Amino acid sequence: MLEAINLSKSYNGTVALDALNLKIEPGEIFCLLGANGAGKTTTINLFLNFIPPSSGTAKINQLDVVQHSLETKKFLAYIPEQVMLYRNLTGIENLEYFTSLAGERYTRDQLSGFLKEAGLPADAAEKRVGAYSKGMRQKVGIAIAIAKKAKALLLDEPTSGLDPKAANEFSELMKKMRDSGSAILVATHDLFRAKESGTRVGIMKHGRMVATLRTDEIGHADLERIYLEHMHD
Amino acid sequence: MISTVARKEMKEMIRDGRFRWAGGIVLALLAGSLAMGWQHYREVNAQHELARRATREQWLHQGVKNPHSAAHYGVYAFKPKMPLSLVDQGVDPWVGVTAFLEAHKQNEFKYRPAQDSTAIQRFGELTGAAVLQLLIPLVIILLAFPAFAEERERGTLRQVLSLGVKPSQLGWGKALGIGWGVGLLVLPATLLGTLALALSAENGAFQSSLPRMAVMFVSYLLYFTAILAISLAVSARARSSRLALVGLIGFWIFNGLIAPRLAADLAKTVYRTPSAFEFARNIEMGLKNGVDGHDPADRRAEELRDAVLKKYNVTKVSDLPVAFQGISLQAGEEHGNQVFDHYYSQLWDTFRQQERVHQIASLAAPMLAVRSLSMALAGTDFAQHAHFARASEEYRRVIQRVMNTDIANNGKVADGPYLRDADLWKQVPDFDYRAPDLAWVLSRQSLSLALLTAWAAGSILLAWRATQRLRVD
Amino acid sequence: MLTQIVKHEWRNLRADRTLWAVAALLAVTIGFGIRNGSEWVRFQNDTLKAVAAEERERLAAVNSGIIDAQAGRTKPTSFTDPRSPSVVGRTLGARYASMPPAPLAALAIGQSDLYPYYFKVSTSTRQTFLNNDEIEHPVHLMSGRFDLAFVILYLYPLIILALSYNLLSAEKEAGTLAMTLSQPVGLPKLVLGKIALRFVFILLPGGVLSLAGAIGGGTNIAADGGGSRLLLWFGVVALYGAFWYALAAAVNAFGRGSSSNAIALAAFWLAFVLVIPSLLNVGVKYVHPVPSRVELIQAMREASREAAAQGSRLLASYYEDHPELAGDRTDAADFAALALANQEQVEKRIRPVLDRFDQQLDLQQRLVDRYRFLSPAVVAQAALFDIAGTSEHRYKHFLGLADRFHRDWRAHFYRQIVRNASLAPQDVDRFPEFHFEEEPWRAVAGRSEVGLVVLLFAVMVVGAVAAWLLRRYPVAA
Repeated sequence: MLEAINLSKSYNGTVALDALNLKIEPGEIFCLLGANGAGKTTTINLFLNFIPPSSGTAKINQLDVVQHSLETKKFLAYIPEQVMLYRNLTGIENLEYFTSLAGERYTRDQLSGFLKEAGLPADAAEKRVGAYSKGMRQKVGIAIAIAKKAKALLLDEPTSGLDPKAANEFSELMKKMRDSGSAILVATHDLFRAKESGTRVGIMKHGRMVATLRTDEIGHADLERIYLEHMHD
Repeated sequence: MISTVARKEMKEMIRDGRFRWAGGIVLALLAGSLAMGWQHYREVNAQHELARRATREQWLHQGVKNPHSAAHYGVYAFKPKMPLSLVDQGVDPWVGVTAFLEAHKQNEFKYRPAQDSTAIQRFGELTGAAVLQLLIPLVIILLAFPAFAEERERGTLRQVLSLGVKPSQLGWGKALGIGWGVGLLVLPATLLGTLALALSAENGAFQSSLPRMAVMFVSYLLYFTAILAISLAVSARARSSRLALVGLIGFWIFNGLIAPRLAADLAKTVYRTPSAFEFARNIEMGLKNGVDGHDPADRRAEELRDAVLKKYNVTKVSDLPVAFQGISLQAGEEHGNQVFDHYYSQLWDTFRQQERVHQIASLAAPMLAVRSLSMALAGTDFAQHAHFARASEEYRRVIQRVMNTDIANNGKVADGPYLRDADLWKQVPDFDYRAPDLAWVLSRQSLSLALLTAWAAGSILLAWRATQRLRVD
Repeated sequence: MLTQIVKHEWRNLRADRTLWAVAALLAVTIGFGIRNGSEWVRFQNDTLKAVAAEERERLAAVNSGIIDAQAGRTKPTSFTDPRSPSVVGRTLGARYASMPPAPLAALAIGQSDLYPYYFKVSTSTRQTFLNNDEIEHPVHLMSGRFDLAFVILYLYPLIILALSYNLLSAEKEAGTLAMTLSQPVGLPKLVLGKIALRFVFILLPGGVLSLAGAIGGGTNIAADGGGSRLLLWFGVVALYGAFWYALAAAVNAFGRGSSSNAIALAAFWLAFVLVIPSLLNVGVKYVHPVPSRVELIQAMREASREAAAQGSRLLASYYEDHPELAGDRTDAADFAALALANQEQVEKRIRPVLDRFDQQLDLQQRLVDRYRFLSPAVVAQAALFDIAGTSEHRYKHFLGLADRFHRDWRAHFYRQIVRNASLAPQDVDRFPEFHFEEEPWRAVAGRSEVGLVVLLFAVMVVGAVAAWLLRRYPVAA
């Protein structure tokens, strides 16, 4: 469960995030929409405790991410826009490393299983990651989330740069994880995917959440219209 | 076109905080080390001058004694310092400062200043030469490695080239700009150094230093040119600015730290010097088979006696019109001189061969060539130390000859010991040492100069070719 | 978890060609350095053997010379008579005081190429035999030698920095850092793991190679406390390396890019290894300048002239100082005794000048000791030279022993000189003999341990700074 309470961040007087209040329950996919610099990545970085908040709190599973930095990372998974892995190691070796850092020990077979579940074919898993496409690297990231049995997922622009088939595969995986009880926060430009797989969407502008909608209450065209209205000016 | 580029480089450099910091520190170190070198030169020169006068006074006022006793009393020779030593101390800390000139022995120079220092001096003395040979090249590298590489990474290289600027023009412009920056550091220090010299060196010393200074200036100029050209060449061809920096720093470390030590070990392996014990033993053996002025039982002494008796056509030593002791003493000295000359010239030849190895090794590291030249021009290399040692040895032989000739001619007294006074001591002229001139120095440094020039020319060629095949991305 | 990080780091680095190039460089330089050190030790040992052989020959010649002269077969003059104690004590029978190279001397040439390692001790003044410099081209002394200590003091930090300058910055620039830090692993532990791998990778093979090279070069490490010396040596190398790793971590912790890190660390290396030591050298010499040797010579000349002028008055005061010798006087003996009195007077006169030298040098050394914390290289150099037994401490110790031997030698011969005694063949065996003893290990170890503590302190301080900075490390952007 992801929770932001009056979460704010400013750099030298510039406000990047202004009093964000957000609660994402397990089994929910929340999509953050907004222009570049609207505060989407800042929000994710705050949940990851990669940057300290100027005020307010971010909590994962009731634990403050600043005070329980290491603990909260145990049950969250982060998939950045570019999943960067260790080029000289294979997919399986990368997975092994990250999961062992998370405190889990899996056998080779188990690791292969996770990669397969994430959609990565078995022969690719044994190849060096330096040769992977963006989609393949992303699948390793998802495999990490699956292996960690992550209860909270943070995704930054996951479908940018993916072809429609890969994007679709990704959506299906997201829904699978949602159904197994994870709380998922997605920062994205992709209005279509947001309506398609999200439970709720939030529109951010200049660091503030200006609108929150339930996707089952609006249609695709509505979403675009509302979005552009808010972006106007 | 070139001047436009150069002017932009100069402007950028002045505004760059890194250049101001690095340049400021290096300038301070250079000025400081030159100041210290100047003070050291004045101090030591004054000391040695005082000591030279004192030893002469002591010789003249040594009282009434037998001339051979006077020969044993002897004089001390003190190594003079040349004005340009303010830039480069060379081997002066590592060779003795004084030699005792006495009868029967050619003594080593004793009291190396380095022995009166702590171990941290092995990290290197802070002299003008150290700054010029080590730190300035580092500044050049730091200024030049981003010359092409960073512009390439920023994307401005494409833009400049798309304007129709030829890569070689760009190269020259950058070279000029960086050269100007380095000049900002080196020229003020050079002027200060020249001024200090003009003020402190005695008459004639400054004038005779000017040609040496000019050649030294040219040598360092060639050295800096080589470093600059290599840095620009690497920058033009390296795949990234980081690789350029790492490569050039590696070169700097090899050139400045590793090559001198490698050259030392190489020279020692190829040309072996004897141990001090071996050397002394050889001389001892050589002398033993010679005339011993104190021991008339020696075989060679007998031969000499027979020859002298025959020359003066008498049968007994007491019938000689001259004092035999004087003749035998001089014969002993001359035999000894032969022995000394034989072994010392062997040793100094070996040293010269080792120096040749250092010079040849400068094919791999230009620093070795400029180091050799710098020391030689400053008058602080081993060759000039040996020149002084040779001169003082000659003077020692003059003393012996005067004393022994006097004993031979006038030493036949009826009763009591043969005594002389200051009238005889005065007959020995004062030790007037003339340092070798520039031609002498250059004749011994021709290889260094040639290799340094080759480095400069070769690296300019390299840089030119590199800019022709400039890597644009 | 630390082992995971170390294992992973190994897998990562293994594929990097730089690592192997660096390892090869280290191996070559270590091998070459030890070779040079061993050569020098071999040279010294060979010379000392030759020296001892010469002494044996000469003393045997004295023995047979005495026998021949006593039998009337030879008629030596008063200046060459082997029966005369003054001749034997001054030239014919002079014995050597030798200092063999210390057990680990092959590892660091140190100051041993600058100071004598044997003296020909006789009844003459100290000054006559003290300046027994070895033959070496002064340019080699100036540039220093390529020994293991050079590799450790100069190249080892560079290798460490070459492998660690982008410790964190590389991962940040590659993007993998965000992936790693989204796992429950703290940044300090991550950095520690990365350092641990490099530390072991360089130190272990380097250490083994050095040891192998030293043994192969003929060093007998088992002799006189060689084991504890090795342990201390290793400790210094480990702590010196740890300092540079801590520094790399601290610089990385600022969060700048790899290129900035490289330049910053290069600047630190330059400062600590080149600039600060030479500035310290200059400063120390400025604050406590050593008197000029020229002054010493003047003092000696003056003193001997005055002594000669005093003539028989000198002799009288000599017997006042040595009443035990006054009883056996003869004329010939008086001549010899006059010479001795002369010598003693000269030495008394120049004593204060010599003392001032030692004093100033001592003050310089103490100043260096006080400020050596300014550079870990200075601390490490002092410790390494001391442990290897090639520092001026060991030389001073040797000088003290040689002085004592000189006094014993003189005492032995003076007695016979003033009595105008004649030497017999069996006397040769009773000549005083020099035996070198190492400095008590406690003294050497004590000095090195101070160095270790200073290094440890430096590592902790820089490490603390690194840890503090890591807490504020900008993971994002």
